[in-house]
Amino acid sequence: MIDLEFSEQQQLLQHTARNFFAAQCPIAKVRSLETSDLGYSDELWKSMAKLDWVGLSYPTELGGAAGSILDLYVLYAEMGRCLAPTPHLASSVIAGETILRGGSEAQRGRLIPEMSRGDLIVAPALTESDGAYGADAVQLVAQADGENGYRLEGAKILVPYAHVAGQLLVAARTGSGPDGVTLFLIEPGAKGVDVEKLGNIANYPLFAVTFDGVAVSRDAIVGPVGAGWATLEPVLDRASVLQCAEIVGAGEAVLDIAVNYAQQREQFGQPVGKFQAVQYLCSDIAIDLHLTSLLARQAAWRLDAGLPHAREVALAKAQASESAQHMVRQAHEVQAGHGFMMETDLQLYTRRAKHWEFNLGDVHHHLDAAVAAL
Amino acid sequence: MDIRFTPEQDAWREEVRDFLDAELPPEKAFDVEFDEDEALWEFSHAFTKKVGAKGWLGLNWPTEYGGLGRPPIDRMIMSEEFEAREAPLSGSIGWGLTAGSLLAGGTEEQKQHWLPKLGRMDLHVAEGLSEPAAGSDLASLTTTAKRDGEHWVISGEKTYTTWGTHADWLFTAARSDLTASRHRGITMFLVPLDLPGVSMSPMLNLGGGRQNHTFLDDVRVPHEYMIGEEGGGWHMIMNAFYGGGIHAGHAYYERAFAAVLEHCKQTRRGDGLLIDDPIVRQQLGQLALIAEQLKMLTYESVSNFNNQKPPSFGGAIGVVVSKEARPRFFELCNRIVGPLCQLQEGRFAPMRGQVEAWYRHSYANHAGGTSQVKRMVLATRGLGLPR
Ligand SMILES: Cc1cc2nc3c(=O)[nH]c(=O)nc-3n(C[C@H](O)[C@H](O)[C@H](O)COP(=O)(O)OP(=O)(O)OC[C@H]3O[C@@H](n4cnc5c(N)ncnc54)[C@H](O)[C@@H]3O)c2cc1C
Repeated sequence: MIDLEFSEQQQLLQHTARNFFAAQCPIAKVRSLETSDLGYSDELWKSMAKLDWVGLSYPTELGGAAGSILDLYVLYAEMGRCLAPTPHLASSVIAGETILRGGSEAQRGRLIPEMSRGDLIVAPALTESDGAYGADAVQLVAQADGENGYRLEGAKILVPYAHVAGQLLVAARTGSGPDGVTLFLIEPGAKGVDVEKLGNIANYPLFAVTFDGVAVSRDAIVGPVGAGWATLEPVLDRASVLQCAEIVGAGEAVLDIAVNYAQQREQFGQPVGKFQAVQYLCSDIAIDLHLTSLLARQAAWRLDAGLPHAREVALAKAQASESAQHMVRQAHEVQAGHGFMMETDLQLYTRRAKHWEFNLGDVHHHLDAAVAAL
Repeated sequence: MDIRFTPEQDAWREEVRDFLDAELPPEKAFDVEFDEDEALWEFSHAFTKKVGAKGWLGLNWPTEYGGLGRPPIDRMIMSEEFEAREAPLSGSIGWGLTAGSLLAGGTEEQKQHWLPKLGRMDLHVAEGLSEPAAGSDLASLTTTAKRDGEHWVISGEKTYTTWGTHADWLFTAARSDLTASRHRGITMFLVPLDLPGVSMSPMLNLGGGRQNHTFLDDVRVPHEYMIGEEGGGWHMIMNAFYGGGIHAGHAYYERAFAAVLEHCKQTRRGDGLLIDDPIVRQQLGQLALIAEQLKMLTYESVSNFNNQKPPSFGGAIGVVVSKEARPRFFELCNRIVGPLCQLQEGRFAPMRGQVEAWYRHSYANHAGGTSQVKRMVLATRGLGLPR
């Protein structure tokens, strides 16, 4: 059977989430959060937790709702539509699911329930100063220090939500090659850790975190030593698909912005949407959006079905990264001068799209990964 | 065919470089479109006046109007050098658009009066053409000018006024004859911005710069500030847009390209330098191609002038190519630089955050009109397709 529709429960979640974010995170709030100190709303985050969305994919015995990737997909499309800034991808998915997969019983029991209540944010620190993505890019050194611990030396950048994180999930090098990466849980307040805000195009809460001989004990390791990337990788696949879903939701909003403008703005005595040039621009956005949605839904479904998915995930994110850029460019063409003004909502999407285009691998990374998976 | 500069032209380029060496400290270089820093603007005014004092703002204008009567290629060479150093030349609406309009359709008396002043940058002019309901369809503008003795009373709202707060005059278009056809009843004026009834409110832009709403509320403008003939505004605007000086737009891209190339030569990602990454090389090649396309379009304009040929494709092709290339060029820069391209400042931001800023600036490509409309000009006037 070929069926690309969401289930009834998923449609219900979609409906609830759309109304929730429309009410709790209108675009005016997104604007003010961008320039606020925190860059996100803890109140919104806690409200999401009350709806069981923060731990949506976690097992019920740890306070989660045992949701699927497709359930999360629905939620992400709605977060993208309204540009809700939340630590969900960073904390709930990348950090939380990595802890669930690789963490000890004790770590899971201690962290996951607190995370799903929205009381603890864990920030994954993966990228380093060259911006490369993948196991090889992990160069931050974790040097064995006596029997019981390690010392970390190096820097991570583009670490989301490090300023409010109770723990950092740090990928560090304990040996060479893909099997030389180990994951550590470190408190941002620990001695030798420094957190520095990174001004960026989206005013997104991104940070550089430097580790100056930071001592960590063995019980802070998540998963076996050297198995860090193997633990992380399947989670990053899931996160990539959710990043696609967020782009799809945002794309729908961008399409609405463009189409509404084309209908309302009149020049030469007619709505500009009557000009074929403008119709082509709007249809470009619709096409990009639609293709991203199809590929991302396939990838999400394969993840849920437990089928091989490397190719599908990579192709979906390659498409989504390309679309994120192309959709906003075409919308700027439709809005012309208006689109360049800060008063238009479009620019909020334009700036966030730049973050998403590169988050979790850019077009080239994923096209290459797709070929590797053939 | 000969695509080289003459020894005299090379010497002129050297003269321009010497001037810039002397007058433009690198830390004062900035993009006048996207920076509102007061101190930098003060420098820009003084710097532009110095350029004016040398006669270079009106380099191509006839000598009787304060110009130096030099050929367009000299202005193009000057523009290449200024762009290459991001020289903060301000007031282009005065010595560029207003002067171009005067030269195209001003009366002898007006040319005598205004051009020398514009060439010295005695007045700083902003552009007040667009209105909230008149963008691409500029001829639908509704600002009115009513004759009252020796004055005109101008009322209406202008929008997207760039440099409005730096300027002291507004070059504007108003409907002086409500009974005439839409193209016939428009007249141009230079309006002092300190007259009663003029006010502005800011429109901040994605590039970090500012445009303005300009409100004209029964502003009494002396008749001698009318530019061109009464009712001749449309003709004047059309000719000025097509007949302005030759700007070396390609040099902006060449400067960006050089900076990105240098970054690639110095920056490692993974095992090697960016410059050795085959994908990056392809992307750099794309950038070089765009810059070269734009350069040849500029040079073609010079050649057309030299051969007294009309611009190709109704003058539209260069505009379409540059407007459409702009966001694409800077998207490519982003991809070359990778995820760090989103950073604006600080020690991790590549190229001091320039890539991030350039990308935001690239959506200003609609200033002066959209590529969609220019494509229609290309197709109709250029290719003879039915309108
Ligand atoms: C950075 C910047 C600076 C500016 N500075 C100034 C300034 O100093 N002074 C000033 O007067 N103005 C200024 N402008 C305004 C500029 O001239 C207008 O933005 C431009 O003319 C386009 O008009 P618009 O933005 O209203 O777009 P619209 O005309 O509303 O166009 C909207 C969409 O409709 C399309 N469209 C419109 N007509 C047609 C058609 N016939 N066929 C096909 N498609 C069509 C357009 O291509 C576009 O996609 C500035 C603009 C910008 C972005």
